[in-house]
Amino acid sequence: MPNRRLLLHCALLLPVASFACSAHAAESEETWTGLKAMFFADKPIDEAPGYVTLDAPPRAEDAALVPVELKFPPREKGDRVVAATVIVDENPAPLATVFRRGPVDDAAFDFALRLRVNSYSFVRVVAETESGALHMAKAYVKAAGGCSAPASKDPDEAGANVGKMRFRSFAAQGMAQAQAMIRHPNYSGMQMDQITRMYTPAWYVTQVRVSQGEALLFSLENGISLSEDPTFRFSYVANGQPVRIEARDSRGGAYAQRFSADGAAY
Amino acid sequence: MSGRLAMGFLLGLTLAVGAAPAEPPSYRLDDYQSPVPATLNGQPALDVAQARALWDAGQALFLDVLPHAPRPEGLSPATVFVDKPHVSIKGAIWLPDVGRGEVSARTETYFRQALSALTAGDFSRKIVIFCKRDCWMSWNAARRAQSYGYSAVQWFSEGIEGWREADLPTEIVQPYGS
Repeated sequence: MPNRRLLLHCALLLPVASFACSAHAAESEETWTGLKAMFFADKPIDEAPGYVTLDAPPRAEDAALVPVELKFPPREKGDRVVAATVIVDENPAPLATVFRRGPVDDAAFDFALRLRVNSYSFVRVVAETESGALHMAKAYVKAAGGCSAPASKDPDEAGANVGKMRFRSFAAQGMAQAQAMIRHPNYSGMQMDQITRMYTPAWYVTQVRVSQGEALLFSLENGISLSEDPTFRFSYVANGQPVRIEARDSRGGAYAQRFSADGAAY
Repeated sequence: MSGRLAMGFLLGLTLAVGAAPAEPPSYRLDDYQSPVPATLNGQPALDVAQARALWDAGQALFLDVLPHAPRPEGLSPATVFVDKPHVSIKGAIWLPDVGRGEVSARTETYFRQALSALTAGDFSRKIVIFCKRDCWMSWNAARRAQSYGYSAVQWFSEGIEGWREADLPTEIVQPYGS
């Protein structure tokens, strides 16, 4: 939760004494310095344009549902992005997801997901190209409490629907995009049960694969920072082949469903 | 501008921005990080100078009640979970989560037993309770300690931010009993 009085102070004092707020509101790279070494060792990461962009709201309406969109523009063969790691610096479990594309073509690819953001933080994406080079984009998001926000559904309801899926194509709306949704409480392990006042153990979708016919569109390996009912929107052009969504969760649950190319369930 | 002058500005603005909210009749249950009252059960909160005087005298027990999220149960062992070092007032004891509006039976027992052990059963021992600035958890915890019968509980509402801004001694602490 943002500190309202502090924010007010920041707004009023910014011209004369912004340092008074710096401990709270500063966009600091300090956390990233440690995380970079942890996740990428000493591999160089630049912020060269043209590989990936990241769009996120500067101030999130709901810290447990922060929309983040990655866009991968077209690149020359050999320099195309094949994977992307999404990190929320200040989340206790910073690695949100590792996204991997299936066979890449020369077209642009967009991918949107929803994240939990626990405190004011950079959200960043590190894209990896076919040649193994790393290129980063980032955005600063003011949101707090996303990892510990109470679940929106009670445990019985969430449990009854776990693993149900939806697939929808937006071709009729003139967009070459589709959306995949997996019903899952995606408990972060940091949410307090409203009755027992104890932490609800983590239970979350760890792996996702979305395929079109035999071809993998993308796969994900997730931490606990994805929002409840993980939902992804991505570039999609129907080719007559059915779409298959597969998911695994941290308790060993495995779920799969097949849809027709235009989004109707089989 | 010097830090002291800026602090003066900050305090002056705080007063100008609006009066502190009134004390609620019971514990605060949510939205913990928001403007707090000036008093606890009618007793004014300690300011930084008063807290420092008590700290210098070395008689009071300083209790930090900032919550602590442990590594979640059920998290895959390979997942990186960062438990950031917690900086507190030097010598303070960290009792996480005892300032929530409603606490589990386990947390209630933890708080009672910690208070009993740390005061050696002396209900008149001076106790200073704090967390962050504008944090209702310290208000809740101080109220709760009073309800257990501790008669010299004081609330330091400026918390660790007020302490650090005055350049007073700090150290990294671990949760009590961990």
